[in-house]
Amino acid sequence: MSLLKLENVTKRFGGLIAVNKVSLEISKGEFVGIVGPNGSGKTTLFNVISGVYFPEEGRVIFDGLDITTLQPYKRAPLGLGRTFQIPRPFASATVRENVAVGAMFGSLSGKVGVDESLEIADQTIERVRLQEHRDKPAGTLTPVEKKLMEIARALAMKPKLLLMDEAMAGMHPNDIDHMVAFIKQVAVEEKIAIVAMVEHIMRAVVGMAEKVIVLHQGSKIVDAPTKEALEDPKVVEVYLGHPPEE
Amino acid sequence: MKKEITKYYPLIPVFAAYLVLFLIGKNISGMWQLVAMLLFYCAMGQAFNIFLGMTGYVDFGYVAFMGVGTYGMALSITNLAHIEGLGIGIIIIGFILALVMSTLLSMAVGAVALRLRGAYFAIATIGVNEGFRFLIEGARIWNGSEGLIFTAQLNQILGREGASSLMTFWADIMVLIIAALAAFVTLFYMRSKIGYALTALREDEDAAKVMGINVTKYKIIAFITSACFAGLVGAASWALKTPYVFPPEVFEIHYTIEAIIIVLLGGAGTLLGPVAGGLIYGISKYYLAIFMPGFQLLVFAPIIIIIIVLFPEGVVGMLKSRTKDSVLARFII
Amino acid sequence: MFLEQLSGNLIQGLVLGAVYGMATMGLSLIFGVLKVVNVGHGAFIMVGAFVTLWLFNALGISPILAVPVAFAVGMGLGFIFYYTTMQRLIKAPELATLLATFSFGIILEELVKLIFGSEFRGYNWVLGKIDIGVTVLPMSKLYACIGSVIIALLLYLWFNKTRTGSAIRSVVEDSEGARVCGVNVGGAYALSFSLGIGLTVTSGVLLTMFIPVGINPYMGGGYTLKAFVIAVLGGLSSPYGAFFGGLVFGFIENGSYTLFALIPGVEPFALTRFLSFMMLLAILLIKPTGLLSTK
Repeated sequence: MSLLKLENVTKRFGGLIAVNKVSLEISKGEFVGIVGPNGSGKTTLFNVISGVYFPEEGRVIFDGLDITTLQPYKRAPLGLGRTFQIPRPFASATVRENVAVGAMFGSLSGKVGVDESLEIADQTIERVRLQEHRDKPAGTLTPVEKKLMEIARALAMKPKLLLMDEAMAGMHPNDIDHMVAFIKQVAVEEKIAIVAMVEHIMRAVVGMAEKVIVLHQGSKIVDAPTKEALEDPKVVEVYLGHPPEE
Repeated sequence: MKKEITKYYPLIPVFAAYLVLFLIGKNISGMWQLVAMLLFYCAMGQAFNIFLGMTGYVDFGYVAFMGVGTYGMALSITNLAHIEGLGIGIIIIGFILALVMSTLLSMAVGAVALRLRGAYFAIATIGVNEGFRFLIEGARIWNGSEGLIFTAQLNQILGREGASSLMTFWADIMVLIIAALAAFVTLFYMRSKIGYALTALREDEDAAKVMGINVTKYKIIAFITSACFAGLVGAASWALKTPYVFPPEVFEIHYTIEAIIIVLLGGAGTLLGPVAGGLIYGISKYYLAIFMPGFQLLVFAPIIIIIIVLFPEGVVGMLKSRTKDSVLARFII
Repeated sequence: MFLEQLSGNLIQGLVLGAVYGMATMGLSLIFGVLKVVNVGHGAFIMVGAFVTLWLFNALGISPILAVPVAFAVGMGLGFIFYYTTMQRLIKAPELATLLATFSFGIILEELVKLIFGSEFRGYNWVLGKIDIGVTVLPMSKLYACIGSVIIALLLYLWFNKTRTGSAIRSVVEDSEGARVCGVNVGGAYALSFSLGIGLTVTSGVLLTMFIPVGINPYMGGGYTLKAFVIAVLGGLSSPYGAFFGGLVFGFIENGSYTLFALIPGVEPFALTRFLSFMMLLAILLIKPTGLLSTK
C-alpha cells in the first residue's frame, strides 16, 4: 500500500518545465533519497508535494487521498511534514514554541491542546539534543542549531511522511553520520515516519536510503535500490563523476 | 489548577496600571480629563494591537471600525429614545449594535483584504475609512454629511444629570472596562492555539502554511476581534462623551496614525505594550499640546521611524529582554 | 445634447487621466524596483503643489518652470529619505517600510503646515481656453496634460535607451543576477527611489495646473487612494501601466460623476470617491497584478 504516489506530475513556470512527467511511489516506512544536480527540479517537486505549487498535469495521491490541489495547510494534518533547505524558524518565538507549533497543527491537530503540545515539544527537543536552547528565541540560534530545530519541529508534527530538503547541507561529516543514525532511529521507532531526502551529499544518501530516485532537468532518470542506482552509468554521467564517499 | 491561574499573571500589571489611573483621576481634582484621554489611548491601542501586533499586518483604515461603532451607539440612542422604560437598556443595545456593525464591516473588508498579502493588504485597507465615509455622505445614509445629533435624546433617556455624569465619568469607566477586556482577550489568544498560529504567520506566512496553519482563518479571527473592540471604544469614547457624530470626524485617518504610534512605541505584539504606549503617547501629547501646540505629529512621526529602524520591539519589548531571567518575567509579556 | 455633454466630459476625463497617470508613475516605479509601497505618496504630490504655489505667488515664476525645480526638490527628498531610512530597512519586514513611508508623509505634511499654515490656498494662472467642439478646455489643463505625456515619454526613453535605465530594469528582473553582473544594486535602489519621489513631486506641479485651488498641507490624502487604484489598475510595478491606468481612471471618474449627478438625492462627488474605492477592491479581488498587465 503506497503512502505517496505521484502520477505523471508536470510543473511549468511559463516556458520552463521544472518537473517533467514524474511518477513515483513511496511506501509506508520506506527511506527514499531523491537526488540530482542543481536545477534538476528536486525542490520544485517537494513544493508540489507539500502544496506550495499545484502541478499543471498529473496527480499527487497521499494515503489514498488525491491531494493534487489541496491547500498546503490541509496537508499537514494528513501526516505530511517538511523541512526547508534554508531553515525557516519563527524567529521571535522560542525554540520550544516553534516545535510546539508543529505538534499543534500537524497530524495531531484538533487532538492536543497547548499544554500537551508543549510537552511533545520538550520531548522532541531532548531527542535532537537542543534542550539548553529550549527557551531562546529561535532567531538567535546558529545555522546548524536552526536545522536541528527545523527537524524537531517537523517531527513534532508526528508525520507519516517527512520531506527533508537538503537537511544535511553545511554539516560536518561526523554530524551527518550522527543525524542519519538519529533520523533512522526515530523513523523506525515512530513506525510510520518516512524520510524522503533530497541530497547532494552522497554520504547521507548511502547511509539512509533504501531506494534512490534521480532527477535530471525535471525528469526522472533512475528509480532503483540505492546501490544499483549509484552505480548506474546514467547517474555517474549526470554527476560527472561523484562516486559515493567511502 | 495553579498552573491555570499563573497563566493570567501578566494581566496584573495591566490591571494595576488601570487601577492607579482610576485612583489618580478620582482623587486628584482636575486630573480626570487626562485620565480619560489616557484610558482612551490604552483601549484603542489594546484593540489595534490584537491585529497589528499579533499578525504584523497594518490596517490603515482601522478608524472605520471605531466610526462604525460610534454610529451604532448613535443610531440606538436616536431611534429608541422615545420608547418608554428602556432607559439604560438603550445604551446596552447601542453597544450590541456597535459590535454587530463592526463585525459586519470587518467581515466585508476582510473578505477582500485578508486574501491579500502584506503590501496589497495595506493598499486595500487604505481607502476603507474614506470609502465608508463617502458612502455615508454620498448615499445620504444615516443623515449623510449632516451627521447625527442626539443631545436631546440622551437627556430624555437619562435625565439631564444622568446624561451629564455619563458623558463626564461613566463613559470613561466603560472605556476602562473595554480596555481591560481587550487585554484579557489578548492574553487569552496569546496562550492559546490562536496565538501560536498568529505568531507563526507573522514571522513566516509560507512556512506557517506548510506547518498546517490555516493562515486566512486566523487572520480573520484577529481582524474581527480587533474591529469589535474598536467599535466598542468608538461607541463608548465618542458617542457617549460627545452626543453627536459627523462622518468626517469619526473616519479621520489621524486616529489610525495614533493607534500605530501607540502600538509601536509600546511594543507590537506584547500584552503590556499598548498600556505603556498609550500612557507615554497620551502624556507626551497632553504636555506637548500645552507647550508646543500643533506639533505633536511632527514630533511623533520621526519617532515612529526611529522606533522602526532602531527599536522595533518597542518599550515593553526591550523590557522583556532585560527581565527575561528575573522574577518579573512572568508578569511582563 | 446629453451625448455631447457626456463625450465632452469623457475627453476632460482623459486629459485629467493623463495627469493622474503621470502622478502615479513614481509609485509604481518605487514598488517595481524596491518592492516598497510608498504609503505617503500623496504628501509628496502636496510638496510639488506648494513648490508651484510659492514660486508663482512669491516669485512670479510660471508653473512650467516650476517643473524642473519640483523635480530637483523631489530627487533631493528622495535621496535624503533613502539614505537615512529606507536603506536600513531593506531586510526588514514589509510592515516597517509601510510605516516608514507613511511617517515620511506625515513629517512632510506637518513641516509644510508649520511653514505655510493650514489654510486653503490657490493661484491664478489664466491663459485662456481652447474650444474643441464638444467641450472647452482651459489652456493650463492642456499644458498639464501635454506635460504629463512628455514626462512619461522621457521616462520610457530613459529606461530603454540609457545604460543606467537598463541597469535598473535588470535589477527589477533579478537583483541577485544584476549584482553578479556588476550592477551597483544599492545605487540602483537609491536612484530609483529618488527618481520615483522626483516624479511624484513633479506631478504635484502638473496637478495644480489642472486644479490651482484647494492647496493645503493635507490635500495629499485623497490623491494617495486614487494613485493606488490607478497603480493597481495598471499593474503595481509598471510605470507605463500606471500611465494608462490613469487614463482609464480619469475616464471613469468623470463619467461616473456625470452619471451620479443624474440620480436624485445623492451627492455625486462623494459617491465618485466611494466608487474609486470599490474599484480598488474589485481589482484586488479579480486580478491584483493589474488589469492592464500581462502577468
